[in-house]
Amino acid sequence: MSKVRTTIRKILIANRGEIALRILRACRELGIATVAVYSDADRAAPHVLEADEAYRLGPAAAAESYLRGDLILDAARRAGVQAIHPGYGFLSENAGFAEACECAGVKFIGPPASAMRALGSKTRARQAADAAGMPRTPGSVKGLASLEEAYAVAAEIGYPVMLKAAAGGGGKGMRAIFSKDDLSVAFSAAASEAERAFGSGEVYLEKLIERPRHIEIQILADEHGNCVSLGERECSVQRRHQKVIEEAPSAVIDEDLRRQMGDAAVRLAKSAGYANAGTVEFLVDEDRNFYFLEMNTRLQVEHPVTELVTGLDLVHLQIRIAQGEPLPFAQEDIQLRGHAMECRIYAEDPDNGFLPSPGKITRLLQPGGPGIREDSGIYEGWVVPLDYDPMLSKLIAFAPTRDAAIARLLRALDEYVIGGIRSNLGLFRRVLNDADFKAARIDTGYLDRLLAVNAEASAPAENADAAALIGAAIFESLRPANGNGRSESASGRNGGTIQINGWKQAARREGLRS
Amino acid sequence: MMIQIEMNGELRQIELTQGEAEGQYHASIDGEALIDVAARMLRPGVLSLHMNGKAYRCVLEESAEGTAIHLAGKRLLYRVDDPRSLKSRRSRHGGAEGPKSVTAPMPGRVVRVLAQVGDTIAAQQGVVVIEAMKMQNELRSPKAGKVVQLRAAAGDTVAAGDVLAVIE
Repeated sequence: MSKVRTTIRKILIANRGEIALRILRACRELGIATVAVYSDADRAAPHVLEADEAYRLGPAAAAESYLRGDLILDAARRAGVQAIHPGYGFLSENAGFAEACECAGVKFIGPPASAMRALGSKTRARQAADAAGMPRTPGSVKGLASLEEAYAVAAEIGYPVMLKAAAGGGGKGMRAIFSKDDLSVAFSAAASEAERAFGSGEVYLEKLIERPRHIEIQILADEHGNCVSLGERECSVQRRHQKVIEEAPSAVIDEDLRRQMGDAAVRLAKSAGYANAGTVEFLVDEDRNFYFLEMNTRLQVEHPVTELVTGLDLVHLQIRIAQGEPLPFAQEDIQLRGHAMECRIYAEDPDNGFLPSPGKITRLLQPGGPGIREDSGIYEGWVVPLDYDPMLSKLIAFAPTRDAAIARLLRALDEYVIGGIRSNLGLFRRVLNDADFKAARIDTGYLDRLLAVNAEASAPAENADAAALIGAAIFESLRPANGNGRSESASGRNGGTIQINGWKQAARREGLRS
Repeated sequence: MMIQIEMNGELRQIELTQGEAEGQYHASIDGEALIDVAARMLRPGVLSLHMNGKAYRCVLEESAEGTAIHLAGKRLLYRVDDPRSLKSRRSRHGGAEGPKSVTAPMPGRVVRVLAQVGDTIAAQQGVVVIEAMKMQNELRSPKAGKVVQLRAAAGDTVAAGDVLAVIE
């Protein structure tokens, strides 16, 4: 860990999408030059457009572009940057890449490789949690050597149990087991799934917590041994172990529990020599006992909700920490204010089994106004590649209370239109209007249970129905006579008035449409 | 002009006449009373509509799936009626007999092909696995039968709606 203060004048952002843009914006605000990298699928991506310099990495596949640490370091050398920000995903939790950066004399904006190694594997993190004296779910702290060992551990902690991949994430290699009979099949399935997904078949067992809430603590540590916690985020609204809505603060955390969880998180980080931003994830049961789950050694997707309730800019702070500056505040300076809530907008079809929906965004109207922040990486005309994560954007509302934040999000969702591809905007309207969600009666199984119930088709009001039909008819009447495209005049370029050029031929053309 | 529009599963007839001022229309739905409408296209695909004392924002969306209008937080797919395409659309869903195809429900890349031409397979048996946005989807056979055509190989890029295999 370097204790020398360095000045960062130029940063390479080793990521894409909304997070690349978000980091780029922070750099601009700090007067730091930015370097983007991109794959062939992302030549027209917004992060490439906005950066001061941009370097091509390779073909679309992540393994040939954003996961190629060697190519990224080449670009870093050519551009002459002092630091690399890895964002989240891709190489952000790759200790080998962090080391390679250090060898190349480029600062990796994140924790030292040693801390990533100590906390990155779930089994090693469980050992670290024990050493730091923090509560964790009962179960093994090492990979299971055999099925016999699995039976023994499960019998000791009692069913139901969870089988998890040590290198896991995103629900892969994870199985809930409710009785002894199911263990053997689940054990081999989880191990082979983990082997395929993470290159390591190491699995371990822990007690299954029923109806848990997922609540995590944001921490920030400098390179001088100072570490603070920035309150919690509740991320219980998940679909298949993927977070969908996050908020801060949690409705079930009071000042006392917040301090206990925050202190535990800080102890863990300090014990591993952690530096920079990190997140300690916990499960919280119905009696508000908390259990250490894992640590994410990077900036999280949902960091904006913490920024809004603390008034801090985490990316600014990450960069200042990487420059060797001490934290500019102490734990007692951290004050939480108001309520923030984030919707992860995905290119997927909630009406059709959540199938991915890559493709061209033909229409985009984004919301704005008081208390709305949107971190997005899309524009009208952008072709969402099929090669990466389906997240398009994060819509975040900030308001004095949870109820007001929900109302604000609903208002923003009504302003929002994404056309050309399917998105999950409609899913958020449903969740945010749901009585259980409004009352914060949520746990990690909440959304799957809600989705198991068919949405009642709410028919549009009479007037809106007529307006939709008449609107559609007007759009159709203005179509040009030839081709599928809309002509300049039909699309309203003449001072906003409507030119009727397709009018007479419309009937004939309709006959030709298939 | 008369436009037939299928929306929400219903076929409706909209009669649209231009008024004297720019953007003014008289509209009638299914032969009912005339409605005065003031319309203004703000930019491509975004229409401001005033009618019955209310103001609406109508946004047009076109995609591979079809045409939709977004209004008051709702997305309503619609189709300008054409008797022939309606017929062809309905016939696609009918009948358990005859050859059936396995089609790609989304754009993606073929990861694995699980059957070969000539194989006898069961209904719901996996035929092709495609991947998009880090999510894999196993496409299953709609019926028991024999694989008579395979139009996909590992590594191929496919579009939504592409026929990947035919089962007879």
